[in-house]
Amino acid sequence: MSAPVRRTPAWGDVAEGDELPDMAVDVTATVIVAGAIASRDFMPVHHDRDYANSQGAPDIFMNILSDTAYCSRFLTDWAGPDAVVRRLAIRLGVPMFPGAPLVYSGSVTGHEVRDGEGIVEVTFRAVNDLGEHLSGTAELGFPLPG
Amino acid sequence: MRQPEDLDARLRAMVGRPVGGRGVAVAPDPVNQPMIRHWAAAFEDWNPVYTDPDAAARSRFGAIVAPPLMLQTWTMATPKISGIAERGGSPVETEGPTALAALDEAGYVGTLATNSEFEIVRYLRLGEVVSATSTWESFTEEKQTRLGPGRFVTWVTTYTDEAGEVVGRQRFRILKFKPEGAPA
Repeated sequence: MSAPVRRTPAWGDVAEGDELPDMAVDVTATVIVAGAIASRDFMPVHHDRDYANSQGAPDIFMNILSDTAYCSRFLTDWAGPDAVVRRLAIRLGVPMFPGAPLVYSGSVTGHEVRDGEGIVEVTFRAVNDLGEHLSGTAELGFPLPG
Repeated sequence: MRQPEDLDARLRAMVGRPVGGRGVAVAPDPVNQPMIRHWAAAFEDWNPVYTDPDAAARSRFGAIVAPPLMLQTWTMATPKISGIAERGGSPVETEGPTALAALDEAGYVGTLATNSEFEIVRYLRLGEVVSATSTWESFTEEKQTRLGPGRFVTWVTTYTDEAGEVVGRQRFRILKFKPEGAPA
């Protein structure tokens, strides 16, 4: 676990196999509701437990726009403000209900220069008390030296 | 309730057609700092290029940019809060028959997002107005899932700026299911 970086790592310092610092989110009902509303997703399963129960869910659960938001924070907390997210693809597994930590981990699985930019592929997952909540891959663009 | 063969035919006919009315959603507000700050606070994402003008000026962007994964948020409909539960959880009034309404009608009233894939062509700046054009890509046959029998529905969205230039693309998949253990 580490604080978000304020500088993007030099392209030459990034290598395949590098691990990103883990990111843990202590997920409460507040976290789920704040994320749903900030992403403008008003589906009641993300803020109304009675409604979630009527859909067969034991509680409200995190919306996918919050998932992609946390993925981008996980990536750029490591890659810094001069990296750009070029691609992000996630697949959801078990739901994220309130009352458990959600822990992101990932590593660099690709590294190449493309269209004048350094492209880093990261493969990652996020796990909670029930199992794997999501898995995915992303591509980040890094400035090249010079 | 309609027969499944009828539903399959109705869904097949919608592949490649626009999602919703015309399939185009224009952001109700331009990209703006208050919504970005709200988003950054909710996810505790303090990447300085989203909210700190001085740090953004020193970055490769030269000015504030929107968080790239806010792309889908800009064009989300302004919700109608009254009656949201009575509309089966739909935060907006649906315009005419849609594929999702057809699935609701056939008993697949539950909705769960399963996949989201983004290509970010470029970051957005304050003041830009985004439009999203979506088309149905595929509908699966009924599958048995952890939540009950369901069908996966996929659509693709192209996000454009005011000049019509593409700023990003997204493929989004949801499961529409018949909830088990819940009142029918």
